[in-house]
Amino acid sequence: MGLSPTLVVDIVVGGLITGGIYALVALGLNLQYGLMRVLNVAHGEFLMMGAYLTYSLHTAWGVNPLLTLLITGPASFGAGLVLHRLLYARVLAGGEAAEALESRSLLLSFGLLFVLQNAALLLWSADLKGYSYLAVPLRFLGSVFPANRLVAAAVALAVSLAFYVFLQRSFLGKAIRALMQDPEGAQLAGIDLSRVHGLCFGIGIAMSAVTGSLISMLFELTPFIGLPYTVTALVVVILGGLGNVVGSLLGGLILGLVETASVYLAASDIRLIASYAVLSLILILKPSGLFGR
Amino acid sequence: MSMKRREFLKTTAGAAAALGTLRGRAWGQAKPVRIGYTLSATGPYSVGAGITQGPNYTLWQAQANAKGGLLVKGQGRRPIEFISIDDRSEHETAVRFYEKLATDDRVDLMLPPWGTAMNFAVAPVANKYGYPLLGPTAVSNKIKDLQLPYFYALLQQPDQIMGAFAGILKELKAQGKISKIAIAYVNDLFGIELNASAATALKEAGLEAVDVKSYPLGVKDLSPVLKGFKAAGVDAFVGLTYPPDNILATSQAKEVDWNPPVWLAAVGTAFPFYRDRFKGAEGVMGIAGWNPKVKSAGAKEYFDAHVKKHQKEPDRWASAFAYASLQILERCVAEVGLDRPKIKAMVDSTEFQTVAGPIRFVKGSNVSTPGMVGQWQKGEFEIVWPKGLATGTPVVPKPAWA
Repeated sequence: MGLSPTLVVDIVVGGLITGGIYALVALGLNLQYGLMRVLNVAHGEFLMMGAYLTYSLHTAWGVNPLLTLLITGPASFGAGLVLHRLLYARVLAGGEAAEALESRSLLLSFGLLFVLQNAALLLWSADLKGYSYLAVPLRFLGSVFPANRLVAAAVALAVSLAFYVFLQRSFLGKAIRALMQDPEGAQLAGIDLSRVHGLCFGIGIAMSAVTGSLISMLFELTPFIGLPYTVTALVVVILGGLGNVVGSLLGGLILGLVETASVYLAASDIRLIASYAVLSLILILKPSGLFGR
Repeated sequence: MSMKRREFLKTTAGAAAALGTLRGRAWGQAKPVRIGYTLSATGPYSVGAGITQGPNYTLWQAQANAKGGLLVKGQGRRPIEFISIDDRSEHETAVRFYEKLATDDRVDLMLPPWGTAMNFAVAPVANKYGYPLLGPTAVSNKIKDLQLPYFYALLQQPDQIMGAFAGILKELKAQGKISKIAIAYVNDLFGIELNASAATALKEAGLEAVDVKSYPLGVKDLSPVLKGFKAAGVDAFVGLTYPPDNILATSQAKEVDWNPPVWLAAVGTAFPFYRDRFKGAEGVMGIAGWNPKVKSAGAKEYFDAHVKKHQKEPDRWASAFAYASLQILERCVAEVGLDRPKIKAMVDSTEFQTVAGPIRFVKGSNVSTPGMVGQWQKGEFEIVWPKGLATGTPVVPKPAWA
């Protein structure tokens, strides 16, 4: 198969669409795992919840799916703060070794995963749910792309970039970066660890839920759509480097490009193999991640 | 500890039994007929189980119990009691529960779980303990190789389904309405088998697919496949799909601006949900087997009862066969009682009249229902192939996506 200009456009744009969504969901997980060593395997479940919330708001009251981000974002941020205060803060209290915190928070997240899945099952049942939004073709550069995917990816990238600017510029962002680089030093400088943890947990979950809102425009929903996204996010986090925000962003885009290229140039079945091959290569060549220190 | 637990169980079982007898008065004190099964309420199989099988089990139970119960030969009517759990879409959970149903609960009858793989997993258990198992959602050419005399498959199998696909495509090509066929199939046992059957059936019909592409289960983007078919000038799309990828392909076809004259897909198209999701899905074709217009006795009554009880329509393929499997059991129990070898003998030797038409088994496979193709036309999934059973005529080219 020749590499025609249309094919290149298909791969690059298609890859950026997929990658933009990966980046946002991975950023949320990285914030939790990189900073707090909370391996939140229920991360994808918050995505699922955000998706259902948007679905309900859109189908019941006709709210524009993009506007629902203004609801799912803050609502899930609040839920994240409460969950952190009620559950994770207790588990994470007492400065123990990172491994101990990791395994305990992992168990807690597993429990949360089942609770959230079953809650969704009770609320929305296991029937497929979905709606059409911006399901129209958009033509440019000699090819055609679904408008809703382009919009979803653009919003995801915009949110990711906004968060990056927030980390670089705001005081709180600097505190978060300081804690990521040197937890002890940052605390000595007067940064309240527990408070920043809570905020980061909330922001991470909000990112997952917002991604879910965007995804609900593209795919059918069931209570079980979350886990594959957790796995993908984990791959991106490892690819980009633990606790590295830019790494997650670029890692997501790279993974999206690799997957899309493999689908166009080989076959759809190769997608997972290609993404795990990239992950394996990184783990062998640079275990700290592409952009890890 | 285990002794204590056993004691506790005895006590609670006693209490439950006492409650049961109290409640039993309402049933005229007849001992219930206990029927065991698992269905997936969670996990990937829950979507299909909740559409095709679960609603029919509970509808049948409610209808029978409203009449005073299931008529058992020589014993009058006995209420139906279900013993079931959520198998969580896990084969081993289902297998363990069917073992328990046979050895511990010693149920009178068993009903199958949802889906080909699940039926494959539990059929040997039912067979071992001599429970006839009438599966309405098992589709595989390999069923006949299993050598399980107690297992029966009601649905059309891949060879018959693909025979019908090839039949209608051949006619449309002869009419000059299509020229290039392409196939996309889901890369698991189900899709691979359908694809193999499709290759044979197309060849026998003198047809050939210009492109065949596979995609993995849980695929998130089918636009590369669809764009490829579009670029190749394909005018008959054949999707050997499960419901989620079927819906993905349909929405993405519109999004990449591709509207081939024939859009023919496998599982999912016959769901009322699909029709509603795509604003009527006018002109979309898929595997069919039933609609409320078919001539079988009770078809319309079944449709109305299903809508009344569940506030949703039965799907237009396997739902009626799920209900038919229960009609078959009901008739056998009325004529030979709960003696399972006798039930099996009757299932083997009888042609049953059901809401899904006549059903007769030869070596465990229903030989009375041919492969069919349906097409959504003004809200109904009309059967458009074979002509002898058709409730409508095919509309090709299909109208633009709504």
